[in-house]
Amino acid sequence: MSIAPVEQESRTVSPDAEVDVPWITLVWNDPVNLMSYVTFVFQTYFGYPKSRAERLMMDVHTKGRAVVSTGTRERMETDTEALQGYGLWATFQKDS
Amino acid sequence: MARGFKKRHDRFVAKLDAVERGLVVGLMEQVRELVEPEQSASAEGGGDEFDAIVAGLGGVGMGVSLSAADQVADLSGRVPPPRDPALDRIFPTGNLEDEQVAAEFRRLTEQGLRARKTSNLDTAIAALSAPQEQRVSLDHDQAVALVVALTDVRLVLGERLGLKGDDDVELLEEQVSGLPEDDPAVYALAVYDFLTWLQETLAHALMP
Repeated sequence: MSIAPVEQESRTVSPDAEVDVPWITLVWNDPVNLMSYVTFVFQTYFGYPKSRAERLMMDVHTKGRAVVSTGTRERMETDTEALQGYGLWATFQKDS
Repeated sequence: MARGFKKRHDRFVAKLDAVERGLVVGLMEQVRELVEPEQSASAEGGGDEFDAIVAGLGGVGMGVSLSAADQVADLSGRVPPPRDPALDRIFPTGNLEDEQVAAEFRRLTEQGLRARKTSNLDTAIAALSAPQEQRVSLDHDQAVALVVALTDVRLVLGERLGLKGDDDVELLEEQVSGLPEDDPAVYALAVYDFLTWLQETLAHALMP
């Protein structure tokens, strides 16, 4: 799998055009996904180095969730969809 | 005795006999029926290996049958597509703060995800079905397809086994420890553990 091309952001004004508020992608702990597999996915999909991928995986495992990417809403939706494609429990939301 | 995946040059090699490969392929075919885009296909029933495996789990499993016989036709004679709870594991809620946003995200992404997962399962099934002796040898793309497919199978089986928390596999193992070896619950858990082991070796072999 590879990273899907991101569509150009629309500049039309919409309620979500609060450009200063970043969105985040979260991955949540679940009892099925393996630590090794989750690390593999973070390395493969995001291209994160192993140390960062393992740290994020441990955050998911010990804290129940981790912010795995930050950016525009569209980008976070793309990441969420891709990670769900890998079978991870991923969600996106506005950063608070 | 099966041997897990190891990276040999550019290949991912394991030793699985025909029974072990048939088991994994059968489960992947069941999951493909569950996730493929056309709803009508799920009413065909199929081998019901999941049903067989989880039969007798009682309160432990969710006991959801995928077979057509258990689905009630509406007045038009068509079988309404029931939402299998395992689908909520494979296609989880994408936004926990806003139901409308979550519904919109699901509407926009589910068919595409279903198509991709189906195609991925096809690749993994073909890779394990190719005529071969006990040696399974996969290229990188086939190996990635299989490691993802094993996730989908384990998510469905995990839901059937009622796994909700990290300790539930151990709890379940304690629960079934007194049961005879041929008990369906013991078998289901053994299958789950086998898939976990196989995926673990493949994920490690794939680690960049």
